[in-house]
Amino acid sequence: MRRQSGESAALSGFLDQHRRSAVRSIRDLLRNPTATLMTLLVIGITLALPASLLSLLQLSNSVAGSQPNIPSLSMFLKPGTPDEQALTLSATLEQKAGVERVELLTSADAMQEFREYSGFGDALDALDENPLPHVLLLQLDSEIGSGSLQKLIEELRAMPETGMIDYDQEWIERLQAISLALRRVIEAIGLGLALAVMLIIGNTIRLEILNRKEEIEVSRLVGGSNAFIRRPFLYTGLAYGFFGALLAWMLLSLLLIIVSGPLDRLAELYGASVSMAFFGLQAFVILLPVGILLGLAGAWLAVSRHLSVIRPE
Amino acid sequence: MIHFENVSKRFPGGNYGLSDISLKIESGAMAFVTGHSGAGKSTLLRLIALLERPTRGQLLIDGRNIGRLPDRDVPAHRRRVGLIFQDHRLLNDRTVFDNVALPLHVAGVSVREVGRRVRASLDKVGLLKKEKSLPLTLSGGEQQRVGIARAIVSRPPILLADEPTGNLDPALSREIMQLFLAFNQVGITMLIASHDLDLIRTLNRPIINLHQGRLT
Repeated sequence: MRRQSGESAALSGFLDQHRRSAVRSIRDLLRNPTATLMTLLVIGITLALPASLLSLLQLSNSVAGSQPNIPSLSMFLKPGTPDEQALTLSATLEQKAGVERVELLTSADAMQEFREYSGFGDALDALDENPLPHVLLLQLDSEIGSGSLQKLIEELRAMPETGMIDYDQEWIERLQAISLALRRVIEAIGLGLALAVMLIIGNTIRLEILNRKEEIEVSRLVGGSNAFIRRPFLYTGLAYGFFGALLAWMLLSLLLIIVSGPLDRLAELYGASVSMAFFGLQAFVILLPVGILLGLAGAWLAVSRHLSVIRPE
Repeated sequence: MIHFENVSKRFPGGNYGLSDISLKIESGAMAFVTGHSGAGKSTLLRLIALLERPTRGQLLIDGRNIGRLPDRDVPAHRRRVGLIFQDHRLLNDRTVFDNVALPLHVAGVSVREVGRRVRASLDKVGLLKKEKSLPLTLSGGEQQRVGIARAIVSRPPILLADEPTGNLDPALSREIMQLFLAFNQVGITMLIASHDLDLIRTLNRPIINLHQGRLT
């Protein structure tokens, strides 16, 4: 037999060591399938929870945020303002700085629209007069700063014809603020749950170490280094993290499939398009490394705390 | 060469395992350690394998004071010392082959080389056909021979045996001792703790007698 050169023999020996540890870890996990599956489910559900919340938040943001972001405001005139006056006003406003276009929706138009869409046609006939005001829809310069916007709104408010001003942007800003706060809360929950996953894996590995006390002792007797003894447990932690994350991703995908129907309709109403596949992929790319890292960290924690206690008798 | 220079081992709690031991075992020599249980036979062997560290004195192996060896170098030292125990210390959930292969796995020997050396080692103790068996299906004598195969598989220059025949009948004990003599013939330094005086007197090798942790 031809002898390998020393260096390549050492390398292949090192790789063999790793392969053996990895194979052994997987085999040990499979030897007790029910217990392993339970642990994986706990890890999977724990990881899926924050991931789902984040995904849903992101989905709703993408539906809300996909509206063209042109600031606009609606100016409701006082009831009883004559048509001509509204028309003149709309022409005047069009000349103002920061205003791109003004569209006049007269009370008659508004009534007509309302009658068509609301289904209250007959009830409206019973009214003596049209209760709806004229509305001026102002499309603003998209570059308008919040200072000059504020000034414009104040100016409009001061006009004698003005009844009420409804500023859409305010809603979007409010929504964004709410979703930001929600995001922070979910991130905090996620951090806590990630810690929980690490501890779950750490505890599982701790039990595994105690189970294999004999093997660890004998390994030490025949000259096993700390790295050698640590290795299979790190692989086990990695496997728990990886498969737990995979399970979490599957749960998340299931959830996305379930909500995709209603969400699609919502997106349609808002004229937005949402790709579920993209969210699934994004979650996959984030979940797997996170799971692997948490698994390794948990295993490392358990190993460094408990291995040094085991000394050969 | 194994050289004890005024070595003492005191256990936590104040008991002395060994006090003021000085002795030399030349490379390639074979010696027996005898004494009542508790006389310090095991402690002597455990010091050489660095399962314990001396509390006083110098323990030199090939001129190196191993009492001072940093923790990270201890595994490498143990790979040069084969250990054989009275209770075998086999892993019962692994086959004979895997048990014997463990020291090679620990040392990072490649798969191909492992197979070759494990079989050579099992062949020496006459258990080549049992490589797929689990230890508990073997007799006591066979289990002890698996333990011996494991101790020699990485070809250590030093072999230590702690009461290797303690649980065996006289005929099997003699067989095991013949095996040790054969290892010694090929140059392995052998130190065997035993209280089977009748057997070891017939073997004509130096005997180190311990009493309450001291040489007598």
